[in-house]
Amino acid sequence: MPKSQIVEPQEERKGGKLVCPDIPLNQYSRTSEDELESYGAEALLGIYEDMFLIREFETMLQEIKTQGIYQDIEYDHKGPAHLSIGQEAAAVGQSFLLSPEDHVFGSHRSHGEILAKGTSAIRKMEGKDLQTVMETFLGGDCLKVVEKESNGNVKELARDFLLYGSLAEIFARAAGFNRGLGGSMHAFFPPFGIYPNNAIVGGSADIATGSALFKKVNRKKGLVIANIGDASMGCGPTWEAMNFAGMRQFDELWDESMRGGLPIIFNFMNNFYGMGGQTSGETMSFDALARVGAGVSPDAMHAERIDGYNPLAVVDAIRRKSELLEKGHGPVLLETITYRFSGHSPSDASSYRVKEEIESWQAIDPLESYAAELKRIGVMDDALAESIAQKTRVAMAKACRLATDLEISPRLDSETIGDFMFSNRPRESYDVSREPEFLIPHEDNPRVQTLAKKSRAGIVDGKLVSKNKVFQYRDGIFEAILHRFEKDSTLIAYGEENRDWGGAFACYRGLTESLPYHRLFNSPISEAAIVGTAVGYGLEGGRVLVELMYCDFMGRAGDEIFNQLAKWQSMSAGILEMPVVLRVSVGSKYGAQHSQDWCAVVSHIPGLKVVFPATPYDAKGLLNTALAGSDPVIFFESQRLYDIGELFEPEVPAAYYEVPMGPPAKRRSGNDLTLITVGATLYRALEAADQLQERYGMSCDVFDCRSINPLDYEPLTESVRRTGKVLLSSDACERGSVMQDIAANLSQFTFDYLDAPPVVVGSRNWITPCAEVEEDFFPQANWMLDAIHERIVPLPGHQVTTNPTKGELLRRNRNGV
Amino acid sequence: MKHDLAIVGAGPAGYIAAKKAGDEGLKVLLVEAKKLGGVCLNEGCVPSKTLLQAAKTYHHALHGEAFGVEVSDVRFNFAKANAHKTKVMDGMREGIVGLMKKRKVEVLFGQATLSEGRKITVDGETHEADNILICTGSSPSRPSIPGIEGSNVVDSTGILELEQLPKSLVVVGGGVIGCEFACLFGSVGVPVTVVEALPEICPTLDPDLAKILRNELTKKNVTFHVGARVEEISGSEVKFSVKGESLTAQGEPILVATGRKPNLANLGLDNLRVDYDERGGIKVDERCATNIPGVWAAGDVTGRAWLAHAASRMAEVVVHNITGRKDHMRYDSIPSVVYTSPEIAVVGLTKEQAEERGMKVTTGKIPMSINARYLAEHPGERGLCKVVVEEGTRRLLGMHMIGGACSEMIFGAAAMLETELQEAEIDEIVFPHPTTSEVMKDVFMAVR
Repeated sequence: MPKSQIVEPQEERKGGKLVCPDIPLNQYSRTSEDELESYGAEALLGIYEDMFLIREFETMLQEIKTQGIYQDIEYDHKGPAHLSIGQEAAAVGQSFLLSPEDHVFGSHRSHGEILAKGTSAIRKMEGKDLQTVMETFLGGDCLKVVEKESNGNVKELARDFLLYGSLAEIFARAAGFNRGLGGSMHAFFPPFGIYPNNAIVGGSADIATGSALFKKVNRKKGLVIANIGDASMGCGPTWEAMNFAGMRQFDELWDESMRGGLPIIFNFMNNFYGMGGQTSGETMSFDALARVGAGVSPDAMHAERIDGYNPLAVVDAIRRKSELLEKGHGPVLLETITYRFSGHSPSDASSYRVKEEIESWQAIDPLESYAAELKRIGVMDDALAESIAQKTRVAMAKACRLATDLEISPRLDSETIGDFMFSNRPRESYDVSREPEFLIPHEDNPRVQTLAKKSRAGIVDGKLVSKNKVFQYRDGIFEAILHRFEKDSTLIAYGEENRDWGGAFACYRGLTESLPYHRLFNSPISEAAIVGTAVGYGLEGGRVLVELMYCDFMGRAGDEIFNQLAKWQSMSAGILEMPVVLRVSVGSKYGAQHSQDWCAVVSHIPGLKVVFPATPYDAKGLLNTALAGSDPVIFFESQRLYDIGELFEPEVPAAYYEVPMGPPAKRRSGNDLTLITVGATLYRALEAADQLQERYGMSCDVFDCRSINPLDYEPLTESVRRTGKVLLSSDACERGSVMQDIAANLSQFTFDYLDAPPVVVGSRNWITPCAEVEEDFFPQANWMLDAIHERIVPLPGHQVTTNPTKGELLRRNRNGV
Repeated sequence: MKHDLAIVGAGPAGYIAAKKAGDEGLKVLLVEAKKLGGVCLNEGCVPSKTLLQAAKTYHHALHGEAFGVEVSDVRFNFAKANAHKTKVMDGMREGIVGLMKKRKVEVLFGQATLSEGRKITVDGETHEADNILICTGSSPSRPSIPGIEGSNVVDSTGILELEQLPKSLVVVGGGVIGCEFACLFGSVGVPVTVVEALPEICPTLDPDLAKILRNELTKKNVTFHVGARVEEISGSEVKFSVKGESLTAQGEPILVATGRKPNLANLGLDNLRVDYDERGGIKVDERCATNIPGVWAAGDVTGRAWLAHAASRMAEVVVHNITGRKDHMRYDSIPSVVYTSPEIAVVGLTKEQAEERGMKVTTGKIPMSINARYLAEHPGERGLCKVVVEEGTRRLLGMHMIGGACSEMIFGAAAMLETELQEAEIDEIVFPHPTTSEVMKDVFMAVR
């Protein structure tokens, strides 16, 4: 417990100096003869074969992209091709010793790493296992294409399968490894330990860290490598991930059996350029990238620079680092120096580097250098080299022919993409074989005991139950989380204040007593890494609940939420699931950076489910649903609601129940007007409905849009058809809000029934002002009445106090406010 | 006392709104900074039309030979014409006073300042109202030309205050107002020079009409310079250039008639956060509602239409909306008239305007001289009637006339537009014969 870690002033104020370990640069000193003795001729020759395969694969793509033809196969490839010609040794050396349980994550330039990891797995796996993998992967669709021309050798078939599956993916074919939905920059193949490559620079750093977290927490075999480029050291999330992977708590606070940093190598493929900028000399502050390790942890992440132009040097480094990781000494930083002969992409003319530089690296071409070395030690002769080349070119032409033929390799019907956006699989547990780990029995939990004494109804005998006696919204959150922890052994939760603090809004209070550190822990203030690691944990097949406290902090995790969390299920064609729930809280009283409702931002991004419960019953029921599903859910809460009791249902049941995502909740029935809200605005809309009834004799249907995506419009359209009038309100800024989106849809669905256009009352398009004047910013009941009077139906004798006229909207929009 | 409606400005929007609201039983406050009747009655339409009629009468007296009427020693007595003008204006103003009195409209004179909560302060006294109508009209605007502030320079208000006929006149700006004064003074023998920046006078009119007007006014002592850039005014001299050639014109006085600007100053619009801009006026929707609940605007102050009768209609729309009757402006069926000799009267879209809106149109035009009544009454004059019809629907889009008493006929075309009549329906309307109005029916024969 951190309470045991006293921060001693005497200790912290003591003089002295920090000593950093030496960081080796290219210290590999073994001879080829040594390696021959260690691994044997066949293995060393295999390295050459794999390097040649990659070189030929990338050459084929370069010719297709630049000339439209490879051998005699013509093809116009419209998509990207970030080639790694020149970087083959780094990829093959890395995968040489890895097993399929070791997972590699890549970058936009990872064709070589995919092939190297694939051929490594093929060499190591039993023939029958390979056969099973090929037969079951995507229902055997990929195998069906290549097996027709098989000679019966399963390893050769598997190599054809790997080549075709990768190429068909790059060419966007339905039988590609990810049905063509990932493409060149996102391809992967989990059975061989090839995990997602990533088109966002550094995107794999925190995802791979989450994968390593999954392995550690669930005691899985294998290590994880994040293959990222030198330029990704300029990305904040990369630093967040390295820090996360080495958090001191792994050594100091986690269970004895769990000790040690995460089993991950941050492998920076340093080809010295990030887009048009040279990293070491121009855009970064380091001289040698490996230096950064010293800034992260006392053991300097065991950082080293290794020679990525010598595959044997890379093999040696991976062997040594794997041993460290096995002993719990991760994370590791490797700087693998390499060089790409080709541009960033075929459109890059390399105008930022001189010809002489490229030529000087070509002079030590790793493929040719390694071939010469093999010949020197008598492992390969010219005839064998020619035979390898010949065989590879034949295999490549076959893969290319099959993958470019539209009849053999049709594209996926685009409409089916919709089927992959969500997996929609109810999952009681992601690992039923293990008992969930707990520190104390359920009934001994202090909060469970306290809640037993609370009133689960918010109203008893017609009177509101006082705050200290009522079962609150935050208690509903707690019960849902505890329930899933008890059912799903893989579930973990973390955030910036989750453990001893009990969450900033007391939702987690009581969990610390029940859960071991590895199931509930405090994370660094690293929003990108919090979400990014959750993505990695989720796609490995573990359930995770992460929390960003304030909705506003999503800004710090933009890529992780928008590009990673939302996209991997569909980019994998449903191979991956993403059982990640991200809790965010909409604040108030804390001004412009702590009070925003960003439902619209996330609901705009395809691939995310978005809910915003407004009652204790829904808070528990919707979180139960979210934590029992297989999809990413952004779970909005409001700090205005944490202490409220249940006012609509008779009570919040103690037993487990789910509230389905989709249907809005009808909170009140009426005939004259439909009021639709999201979040805490519900209670102000009910005030407005009361006033409409009392002063103007109008009765309202009031809907609580607790589920934003998915959203079932039927109950809303039924109501609006009846009332002909609709007002929508939420605490989000009005422009581009979810309310505007729903209003636009309702206009289309119910146009013929409307007496007036749907009216949206949102927060002003301003910053949130200080707490004392928040009522000038967030919608109030009287704003709603004024808007109804001005824009829907005149309320007899109503005097407006705000300005909802159309002319005023025009003026504000013209001014951008 | 709280009013149902407070009106700022007693021009053709203000007093009409007061009258209509009074008829509806509303408690009305009408505030006027100058005189009842506004620009139209006191500085614009009414005095200028009175003088134009004087000029027309003088012209007829001089040129009666064609009808066999021979008059000698014809003189134009400007003082008497002015006296007639004043009498008409006084009579009209008295009429308004009577209208207000009858409807118990409270009339206050002074500058009104608006403040939040729909309050109006006049002479230190604050009044409250459920609705406020702003109709403060417009004033002549002066472009930034060196020497424009000279004592010899007058605007359309100042020129109506002349007590003696000028020896010569230069008119800067060949729009509707400029042409009316050119016609007025040219007809009574004053040499007039009109300097217009654009390639044709009255640029908002159909170009065929503008060209005929320019030719007819040339016969009345008016010299036109179009495409002319005024460079400087110096005493009685206007320096300008046409296609690079420097020219001058002498005038005592020099009339600047280059447009009008909405009267927005000192109203306290910013106190109310009323949406407006300096040139375009107060922004209103089709009901003449501003962006502020209960605050309305009508007439020139909205920068729309710039016509007295449009202002009156806007006032009606406001009162209708306040009293619960749905109503909105339809600007395309508001007629407009140039009170020159010959007169111009138009309603609806020109071909150019319709095409700008992406409509496919066809047009027809006939000379007025094919009409018996016109030929009888206007020997030697040129007139034209032009119609714009939507292709396909054959719906009337615009009627454009010059010549005869077209200003008295145009309401007929306005009614056709307002009721969205098509060619075939107009064909069934019976026009009295012989009248000049028959051209409005006959013109459809020329539609191709």
